[in-house]
Amino acid sequence: MNGIIFNIQRFTIHDGPGMRTELFLKGCPLRCEWCSNPESWLPYIQIGVYKTKCISLKKCGLCEEACPKENVLNFTRGKLTSIDRSKCTNCLACYDACPSDAIKQWGKVMSIEECMKEIRKDIGYYERSGGGVTVSGGEPLLQSDFVAELFKICKEEGIHTCCESTLHADWREIEKILPYTDLIISDIKHMDTTIHKKYTGVDNNKILENLKKLADKNYEMILRIPIIPDVNDDMKNIEATADFILNELRNRVRTLQLLSFMRLGEEKYSSLGIPYKMENVKLNRKSFQKHINEISNYFNSRGIHCLVGTKEKQ
Amino acid sequence: MSINRTNACGTQPYDQTYSLGYQVHHEDWSPFPRVNYLRQKFLDRQYYIDVERLRLVTEAYKKHEAAPSKLKCAYAFENILLNVTLHIYEQDLILGEIAAPAKAAPIYPEFSVNWIIDEILNSPFEERAHDQFYIRNDEERKEIVELCRYWQGKTVEDLINSRLEEDQIKGSQLGKRIFQTNLYHYAGVGHLVIDYAKLMEVGYDGMIEDAKKRYEKLDKKDPEYGDKRDFYLSMIIMHEAAKKYIERYAKLAEEYAEKEEDAKRKEELKTMAINCHQIAGGAPKTFWQALQLFNFATTLIQIESNGHSISYGRMDQWLYPFYEKDIKNGTITKEFALELLEVLYVKMNNPTKLKDKGTVLVRNGRGFGGESLTIGGVDRNGNDATNDLTMLMLEASAHTRMMNPWVCVRMHENTPYELKVKTVECIRAGYGHPKIFNDAPAIKAMMRKGMTLEEARDYAVVGCVEIDLPGKEFGWHDAAYVNTPKMMEMVVNGGRCLDCGPHCGRWERCGAIGSQLGPNTGSLETYKSFDEVLESVDKQFDYWCDQMCSSLNIIDNAHRTLKPTPYVSAFYEDCLESGKDLTEGGAKYNGIGPQASGLGTCADSLATIKQLMFDEKRYTGLQLLQAVKDNWEGHEKIYALVNSSKVHHYGNDDDYADELFKYMFECYCRHINGRKTPRGGEYSPGVYSVNANVAMGLNTNASLDGRKAYEAISDNMGPVHTDAGSHDISGPTAIVNSLTKVDHSLATNGTLMNLRFPEDAVSGIEGRDNLISLIDEIIAKNAMHVQFNIMSAKTMRAAQKKPEDYKDMLVRVAGYSAYFVELGKPLQKDLIQRTELHF
Repeated sequence: MNGIIFNIQRFTIHDGPGMRTELFLKGCPLRCEWCSNPESWLPYIQIGVYKTKCISLKKCGLCEEACPKENVLNFTRGKLTSIDRSKCTNCLACYDACPSDAIKQWGKVMSIEECMKEIRKDIGYYERSGGGVTVSGGEPLLQSDFVAELFKICKEEGIHTCCESTLHADWREIEKILPYTDLIISDIKHMDTTIHKKYTGVDNNKILENLKKLADKNYEMILRIPIIPDVNDDMKNIEATADFILNELRNRVRTLQLLSFMRLGEEKYSSLGIPYKMENVKLNRKSFQKHINEISNYFNSRGIHCLVGTKEKQ
Repeated sequence: MSINRTNACGTQPYDQTYSLGYQVHHEDWSPFPRVNYLRQKFLDRQYYIDVERLRLVTEAYKKHEAAPSKLKCAYAFENILLNVTLHIYEQDLILGEIAAPAKAAPIYPEFSVNWIIDEILNSPFEERAHDQFYIRNDEERKEIVELCRYWQGKTVEDLINSRLEEDQIKGSQLGKRIFQTNLYHYAGVGHLVIDYAKLMEVGYDGMIEDAKKRYEKLDKKDPEYGDKRDFYLSMIIMHEAAKKYIERYAKLAEEYAEKEEDAKRKEELKTMAINCHQIAGGAPKTFWQALQLFNFATTLIQIESNGHSISYGRMDQWLYPFYEKDIKNGTITKEFALELLEVLYVKMNNPTKLKDKGTVLVRNGRGFGGESLTIGGVDRNGNDATNDLTMLMLEASAHTRMMNPWVCVRMHENTPYELKVKTVECIRAGYGHPKIFNDAPAIKAMMRKGMTLEEARDYAVVGCVEIDLPGKEFGWHDAAYVNTPKMMEMVVNGGRCLDCGPHCGRWERCGAIGSQLGPNTGSLETYKSFDEVLESVDKQFDYWCDQMCSSLNIIDNAHRTLKPTPYVSAFYEDCLESGKDLTEGGAKYNGIGPQASGLGTCADSLATIKQLMFDEKRYTGLQLLQAVKDNWEGHEKIYALVNSSKVHHYGNDDDYADELFKYMFECYCRHINGRKTPRGGEYSPGVYSVNANVAMGLNTNASLDGRKAYEAISDNMGPVHTDAGSHDISGPTAIVNSLTKVDHSLATNGTLMNLRFPEDAVSGIEGRDNLISLIDEIIAKNAMHVQFNIMSAKTMRAAQKKPEDYKDMLVRVAGYSAYFVELGKPLQKDLIQRTELHF
C-alpha cells in the first residue's frame, strides 16, 4: 500500500512524548487561515518555487529546457519566481532538472516499507526517550487505510504510535486506526460552528462529535487550541471550550496545550503561489504571551491540566 | 531499560538547574563570594609577557654550557625555583604559579626564539587581531630580544630546521601546509597525565628517595650508565628544588599572615603556610593539602616545559581518599571542599602561554590549553566509579564557568542516572563544559594501543579528546594536523595544487622546473573508474603520511637531544625504573598522535565524483576539475547542484555518502596506525581538528564538496557546511547515525563530535530528558566522544555586535571551550555556520 507524504521529520519532540519521527501526510479538508503547512492541502504532488535559490535563467536555464509546455515558468529579472498553475501538470521535469533546490517537490508517493525503513533508523532513540512515530498532515485520516497499516506494523515492532488529526472525518475512518494508535492529538479551533467554518472552511460538528466518542472510550488524548488573535482568544470562546472539555469530554484529556499564533510558513505560501491571509496580523508578542498565560491559568482554575506550548510537564 | 542509581551527591540536589544558555551580565554563579571575587579578578587582569623565566634560564645555561642536556635542564629549573618572584593573591587559598604572575606568559627559549624576536621587531604581540600580549616596558622589550639572541642556533627549532629535507618541508607549515607539525616544532610537547596517586602517597621525599635508591643500584657495566646517571641526578636536583620552592612559599605565607589584620584571613594564611611546610617534602594529610600539592606539582611541569595539555587525570578518583578521610574526621564540610575546588578551578586558568602567530591561527586562545579533568567512568574492575567528588567537580564547574578545567565526564552503560542529570544540567547551562567520553570504544582503543584491560579502564582524557594512561603513557598526542582536503587536491589534479603557477612562493623550486608538489597518482581527466580514484587517495595518503611522520620523528629526536624533561619523567614509574627520560622512551607507552582534519570535505568531494561523474555521468571529470580550478566561477550550475540535496552528503544517515566517509576515516587510520616512533612505541591516529579547520581552509583551493577556495574545511568528525549552506539537513539523529558508522576505536588518539542546539531546544524537563536520551543513544552507538554547544547563532551574532556584554561567554570550539569574543573573526564565522540542530 502507498501513501502520499510531503515530509518526514526525524527527531521531533513537539508532537507526542519523547523523540519521534514524524510523517506529514498530504491532503486536508480544512483551510485554516493560520495554517503553517499550505503544502499539505492538496492530495497530490505539487511543485514549489523558492525564488531566492534560483541561480538565474542566464547561468542555468535547465528548468526552461526541461518543461514540456510553453510559458509555464515565470521569470522576473531573470529568476524563476512562479509557475502558472493552470498550465502546470506537475510532471516534475523542471524539478528533476533544477540544480539548486529552487524548485521543490512537495509530496512523494511512498510504500509502507519505505516509510518503515526511515522509521526504523531511529528506533534506539524512541526506546530511550519513550518516543515513537507520529503521523500528522494535512489530515492523516484522509489516508486512514495507509495509517492503519503503517501503525499495525509499528505496533508489531514495539513502536509507540501517535496520530495528530483534525478529527474532521467520519467515525469509521477513525475506527480503522484506533486499534493501533496509542495517542491522539487533536485541537479545538473554535466552539462556535459558524465562526469555525468562517476560518477553517468546515463546521465543527464532526470534530466535536468525534472528540466525545473518543472520550467515551477513554482514549489517550492531547488537545490543543491554536490561539489566534481576534479569532478564538476571547473569553467567551475560552469559557465555552472549558465547558465542553468538562461537561462533554468529562475532562478526559491528558494535557490541554495552548499554541500561540506564529507567522510560520509564509515562504511556503509564496512557493505555492497562494496568498497568505495572516499577512496583516500585527501583534504585540509580549502582551499576547501574557494573554495566553491568562487563558492557561483560567483552564487550570477550572481543573483542566493546561500548558502553554507543546510540553506535557511544567 | 534498567536505570542505575547512586547515593553520591554534592552540596546541591543532583537535578539542580543552573541556567539555560549564556546569561548576559551575570557574574555571581558561585555561592561563595570569594570565588566570584577571584573569577572577576582573573577576567579583569591583562595578558602580559614576563621576562623572569627567560632571564633565569639563560643565566643557568650560560653558566653550564658544557653540561649534558638533562643537567642543563635541571640547573635551569633549579635556578628558576630558587629565585623567581613568588605571588600570593588576595583571598586565594591555593598557592603556586608558573614562574610568572597570574595570567602572564613566561618565555621558554629552549624551544624556539626566532619568532619571538621577529614578532617583537616586526609584528608586535600587542597589535595582533586576537590573542594580544603586552610587554611591561621598552626596557623589558629590549631585554627579551637580547636574551633571545643568545639562544639563536641553540634551540629545538634550530636543530629540527637543520635536519628537515625539501620533501618534508614542502608539505609542512613551512611549505604548502598539507600537514602542520608546528606545535612541537616550536614548543614543548606536554599532553600527559602524571601518576598523581603515587605523588599523593609518597610526596617529594618519597620520589627523591626512590630515585636515590635506583641511582645507587646503577651498574657501571651498563653501557648507558652515564645517560642514566644524568637522568637520576637531574631528577633529584629538580625535585629537591621543588621542595625548596614550596618552602619559600611557606615562608612567604607566614610573612603575609604576620602582617594580616583580618583575623579570618590571618588564619587562612597560617594554614596555607602549614600546608606548604607539610607537603614540601611529605605526603599531604588533608584534602586542602592534597589540592595544594597538586597545584605545585602541576605548575612545576609547566615551568619545566611549555608543552600544553598537562591534564589532571581522574581527579575524582585519586583525590577521593583525602576527601573521604576529612569528611569522616569532620576536618572539612562538603561546602568547604566545594569552595576549595572552585578556588582551584579559577586558579587553573592562570597559566598563560605565548604562542607564535602561525600557531595562534591553528589554536586560538591564550591559556596553555588542554587541561582536561576526567571524572566518572568505570574503575579497574569495570564497576561504576562515581563518588561525591564526581558531583562536586561538576558543581564547581557550573559555579565557575571558565575556560579551565576542561571537565570530561566518562560514561558507560551503567552510569548512574543522577550523574547523567547533573552532567546535562551543566551542558545546558551553555558554558561549553563538560564534554562526554564513552568508555566502551575508548577502552577498546586503549587496548588497541597494547594496554591490558585493567590499564585501559583507567584512561583519562588529555587535551581535547586524546585518551591517555596516567603515569604510563607519553603519547605525543596532538602531534600534527593533517589537511586531508589539500591531499584531495593532489588526487583530483595529478599531484599539483589547483592554483599551481608563478604566483606561488615555491614556484621556482617546483612548477617552474617541471616538478610538482606531490606524486602524480592520476587526475579527474584520467580516472576510468571510481576505484581508480580511491586508489589514488590511498597513494597520496601514503606519500604524505610518510613525509609527515618522518618529520615528526626528527622533531621527536630534537626534544630528546636538547630538551629532556627529567622533573616530569620522575612521575613515570617506567622512567624511574629504566633511568630514561620521557623523551628517551622511558614511559611504558610511547606513541605519536597526528590528527586528520576535513574528512567530511573529502567524503562529500568523493560523493560528487562518484555520483556525478561515474554513476549518473552528468558531468565529465574534466568539467568537474575545471570547476574547482576556476573556484566555481562560471560553473554556477555544478556549484548549486553539489550544494543541493540532490547530491549525496555525509551526515544525513545516507549510506552512499557515509560509506565514503568511512573509506576516508579508515584510509587515514590505516596509514598512521602501526608506524614506529623513535621512542619505541607506535603511531596513533586521531580524527579531530580543534579549530585548525579554519586556518587550513585558508590554504586550500576550492573542493568538490561545493566549498569555495579559502572557506573552512569540515570540522572534526563533522559534516560539511559551506557558504552555500549546511550539508547535514536531516537532524541530530541522522548526524549521530552517520558519525557512528565508523569504528571510532580505530582512531586511538581520539575522535570529536560537535552538536549544537539553540537554548530553547533543550528547555524544560522534557528538554533535559531528551538530551539525556540522545546521549544514551550516542553511548550505545559507540561514538567515542560528544560535546554540545547550547547556543543559538542568534546569541553568537549578538555577541559579535556587543562584545562588551559577552566578555565571559564560553563557546565550545572543539575539545575545548574559549571566550567567544576573543576568537578570530574567521573562527567565529565557522562556529556560527556549524549546523544548528533542533528537536
